[in-house]
Amino acid sequence: MLIEPFRVPFMARALAELALLALVGGPVSVFVFVRRLSFVADALTHTVFPGVVVGFLAGGLTGVFVGALVAGLVTALVLTLLTRRGALSDDASTAVVLTAMFALGVALVSRRPSYTSDLTAFLFGRLLTVTPGQLAQTAVLAGAILMLLAVGARAFLFRAFDPGGATAAGFRVGALDLWLNVLVALVVVAAVRAVGTVLVIALLIVPAAAARLVSDRLVAMAVLGTAVTFAAGYLGLLISWTASVGHGIQLTSASAVVLVLVAVYLVLLPAGRNR
Amino acid sequence: MSWWDDAVHRAVVEAVLAGALAALIGVQVVLRRLSFFTMALTHATFPGVVAAAILGVDILLGGAVAGAIVAVGVAALSRRRGQDAAAATGVLLSGGFALGVGLIATQHGFRRDLSSFLVGSILTVSPRDLATTAVLLVVVAAVLTVCARPLLFAGFDPAGARAAGLNTGALDLVLLLSIEAVIVTVVPAVGTILALALIVAPAAAARLWSDRLPVITALAVAFGVVSGVAGLAASAEWNVAAGASITLTATVILLASWLRRYAGRRPGRTWP
Repeated sequence: MLIEPFRVPFMARALAELALLALVGGPVSVFVFVRRLSFVADALTHTVFPGVVVGFLAGGLTGVFVGALVAGLVTALVLTLLTRRGALSDDASTAVVLTAMFALGVALVSRRPSYTSDLTAFLFGRLLTVTPGQLAQTAVLAGAILMLLAVGARAFLFRAFDPGGATAAGFRVGALDLWLNVLVALVVVAAVRAVGTVLVIALLIVPAAAARLVSDRLVAMAVLGTAVTFAAGYLGLLISWTASVGHGIQLTSASAVVLVLVAVYLVLLPAGRNR
Repeated sequence: MSWWDDAVHRAVVEAVLAGALAALIGVQVVLRRLSFFTMALTHATFPGVVAAAILGVDILLGGAVAGAIVAVGVAALSRRRGQDAAAATGVLLSGGFALGVGLIATQHGFRRDLSSFLVGSILTVSPRDLATTAVLLVVVAAVLTVCARPLLFAGFDPAGARAAGLNTGALDLVLLLSIEAVIVTVVPAVGTILALALIVAPAAAARLWSDRLPVITALAVAFGVVSGVAGLAASAEWNVAAGASITLTATVILLASWLRRYAGRRPGRTWP
């Protein structure tokens, strides 16, 4: 009953994809949390959209990956530059980049006849049609992200908690910010086609926020974040399977996973009060 | 057949009204750095709108209730030790978004609704939507005029305002509820992304031209209205989605303002 649905190959692949993303999401969300990059993460999930559109028009399904990658990297660079310039406040410039890039994507896609279904696919992803090739792609990206994160982790933490000290100690804060923004962009690129924007936003924000309610040690937060995400992925898939197969309710798997994740956060809230 | 029966005429009027309304509240959003909160509200009022549509209740009511829950939720969650406003806002944003998208997916034939939620459907705006937007424009303008001085004081020096005997909590609540009302009214007509663009971009552009609040406000409203009308014209000309072209027009205005300010900043010349 609890394992049975995952004997179906497409469910097993969906769970494997979520497990890979949980592995990355836990540690990365910790840095998003301590640097307060929630809005930047949200912006990145929207700004890869024009890249997805242009990539698809230029090169079909393989083009999507390259397009998203380019758009994500461009956004990471623009956001880093804008927040350093100081002409606009961080949040206003993030909002403007988000809306402008997304509108560009919509303007491009709205010239095609099937544009509403393209948008829907972008929102939900295609979690249940993940192919072994995509899984391999995600695994490679996940490995790269974790490696880049491990190399930069100490510097990121120094910069997060004492920017003045990090500058004085010779760290280049601008380069570190760009590095972290690029890592977030890579997570978005790795995840967005399979699981859709709805789930990527949650993946980058909720795990660390939930783990922080239980622990204030960063390593523990990363491990807990991964565990919570994996549990939510398993439960969410199971619930959406049971609802669709057993009760005829169309519950999209991506939404179910996010809702379970947020429910875990809400359940952990009372624990946070005592700390 | 009256002038109002033409969808394009109605769309132009809605673009003008929504542009003015969003820019008016946008000045406060930009000065107080509430862009992310605004983004979260646009996504988190979504389940309320969907639930109201399924239950057959007025969708403005559904959106308003959901928005109020989010505003209170962010305030309550960010008081927890170790949780800050950014994280709490992010959690509520993703939760609300997933709930709305999940609810809509249980209905059949949801794709069109979903894309119109994101990019709006300004060409199908009804006379009733126009009346709601116009009434809210008057109300928000009145509230902001009456509360202008205390809001300014509380925005720049909360501790000082409290010491001077102002009720800053009540002022914040008035501001958040105004933002919520604007979003709930504007999103069904123009979509979430355009709503955020119309709130932030004109005000941010106006901020680059002046440091005086009345000037910023007037400029922001002008930019908002121009973005709306010019964007609609561009949409008709090049056959792209109206919401997207209005957003891009607002961005171009911001970019031009930024370039003008950046190019004007030469050595020996100081800007106020």
